[in-house]
Amino acid sequence: MTGSPLWSWKRKLGGPELSFVDSSIYTDPEIFELELEKIWRRTWLLAVHESELPNRYDYRTLTIAREPVLVIRGEDDKIRAFLNVCPHRGTQLLREPAGNLSEASPSGSAKHITCMFHAWQFDAQGRCTAIPRRRAGYQERLDCADANLHPVTCEIGLGGFVWVHLEGNAPALSDYIGRAFDDLRPHLEAEPLEVFHHHKAVVHTNYKLWHDTNSEFYHDYMHHFNRVTGMQQPGYYDRRYTAFANGHVTVSSMSVKYDAYEHSETALANSRDLSFPGLEQNGWKVLDLFPGITLNLRGSALRIDTMTPLAADRVLIEFRGLGLKCDTPEERQRRVRDHNTIWGPFGRNLPEDLLGVTSQGRGMQHGSEPLHVLHGRREHSAIHDELGLRCYYAEWSRRTERSARDPYSSDCSDWSITRAHRAVGEAE
Amino acid sequence: MTGDLLLHERRSLAEELLYTAAGHLDDRNWDAWLALTTRDFHYRIGAYSPEIRKQMIWLEHDRDGLVALFALLSKHHTDHAQWFRQLTLQQVEQTARDQLQTMSQLVVFATAWDVGDAHVEAGSTRVFAVGRYRDRLERHNARWLLADRYVQLDTRQLGIGTHNIL
Repeated sequence: MTGSPLWSWKRKLGGPELSFVDSSIYTDPEIFELELEKIWRRTWLLAVHESELPNRYDYRTLTIAREPVLVIRGEDDKIRAFLNVCPHRGTQLLREPAGNLSEASPSGSAKHITCMFHAWQFDAQGRCTAIPRRRAGYQERLDCADANLHPVTCEIGLGGFVWVHLEGNAPALSDYIGRAFDDLRPHLEAEPLEVFHHHKAVVHTNYKLWHDTNSEFYHDYMHHFNRVTGMQQPGYYDRRYTAFANGHVTVSSMSVKYDAYEHSETALANSRDLSFPGLEQNGWKVLDLFPGITLNLRGSALRIDTMTPLAADRVLIEFRGLGLKCDTPEERQRRVRDHNTIWGPFGRNLPEDLLGVTSQGRGMQHGSEPLHVLHGRREHSAIHDELGLRCYYAEWSRRTERSARDPYSSDCSDWSITRAHRAVGEAE
Repeated sequence: MTGDLLLHERRSLAEELLYTAAGHLDDRNWDAWLALTTRDFHYRIGAYSPEIRKQMIWLEHDRDGLVALFALLSKHHTDHAQWFRQLTLQQVEQTARDQLQTMSQLVVFATAWDVGDAHVEAGSTRVFAVGRYRDRLERHNARWLLADRYVQLDTRQLGIGTHNIL
């Protein structure tokens, strides 16, 4: 490729004075498989919020790194997670995204998970309770106790979220998150939270590009709403990124000036005096957690983004909105309007962000000439600094043992990684 | 009640208004569409989430809010697909002398323009959403107008979403 116009262009933007990553990390199916193995199967992930399982025997199902997972509240009120797979012949057990076991299934009794294929049955604690004609078929060679559901490591925390980890010897959730949650903790743990919004989008882009978008504010130029309520307001350029171990970053608060948005009285005026415990009025804090979770607390609503990578060029993104469980109906209505005016599927900002990463997905496709994607803005960790991206790719490189700058090199201790680690160190 | 309309009269009045209004939305002729609404018109889009077991309201505006929304459309980066609203009136009830309550099935088709690989996809049509309009129609000065619209969506995955209304 040396000598081609594209190659020259790539070299031009890839000088040693700029941080960048090779676009192959966003497009290569082999790198995607490596990420599933080295990252997604080996990290804490936010599955659901506990308010999605308010009653005993409530369950939710999801997929993590191609593993079907179920999360269920047991008869003892404890929330647990298991692989959603029958140990007998590998059938997916619960097919609905959500439900409750209090009703009997066509082939099984109530309060149990029953495999539709051969009616093996499990209780809400994952214990196998029935194998039809077990003695006749297996004699003494198989006992129910040998056939319990495969447990998935599960913890509840950081505002009542249910976290899961596919590895059995996972580190404690608190060790993984470290101090990154400290800034949000007073607002999200003073009162129980409750989910009021959920929608999802399958987007044709690489999952990291969505997290990149959530990890930098330079793209506020794309949002009319953010330009008038944020960028043009006092305090915007005082916001700071702080990087933490394991690839997490936070963004400090500013007071969003909602009434600068034209005609905002029709949608947001009533929400301005509603906030979260301890959060300044119209405050806005962000926490980006590696490898693809964002907690976005703005004004009266908390937005949570989680991702399920499907392929190098396809990702399922789930969006949740939360308020306080103790909300009055009128308060809840105001939070819903505030959230959805900006972040709903008909909101002002979310379609723009998704359009942006969809366009990136089109601009960088597998097999096209790799680009150098710049992550090089350095503004003393201020709001348009791309510290969040450098922090992320330092952790990405550590886990994948690949250089994000040169993912096909055997040497991962290259310039971009050391600079990124240094940037993290500087910020802390 | 006094002023009862015959079934075919109700259907005819409702179809005339609803189909004309849908055409104005397809044409993005917001002023013409707003002219078919009452001053205290109320608009919502909602969906039930079985995941969180809650009814959700995704967009809610009064008439002034919609005027503002339309005015700001050009300031947003958005999907400019051409929409085609296929509407079938299912139910129409007269709930007062000058009031009809209707339910219509709605399918919104989107013909791609500028999202995705436009070279490949522009001109292709997909279903954007299916749902129902639940409308209240009122007669004001001999004109039938939309007084309330609740768009109840079955579709809960809307791709990148939209700045438009359904």
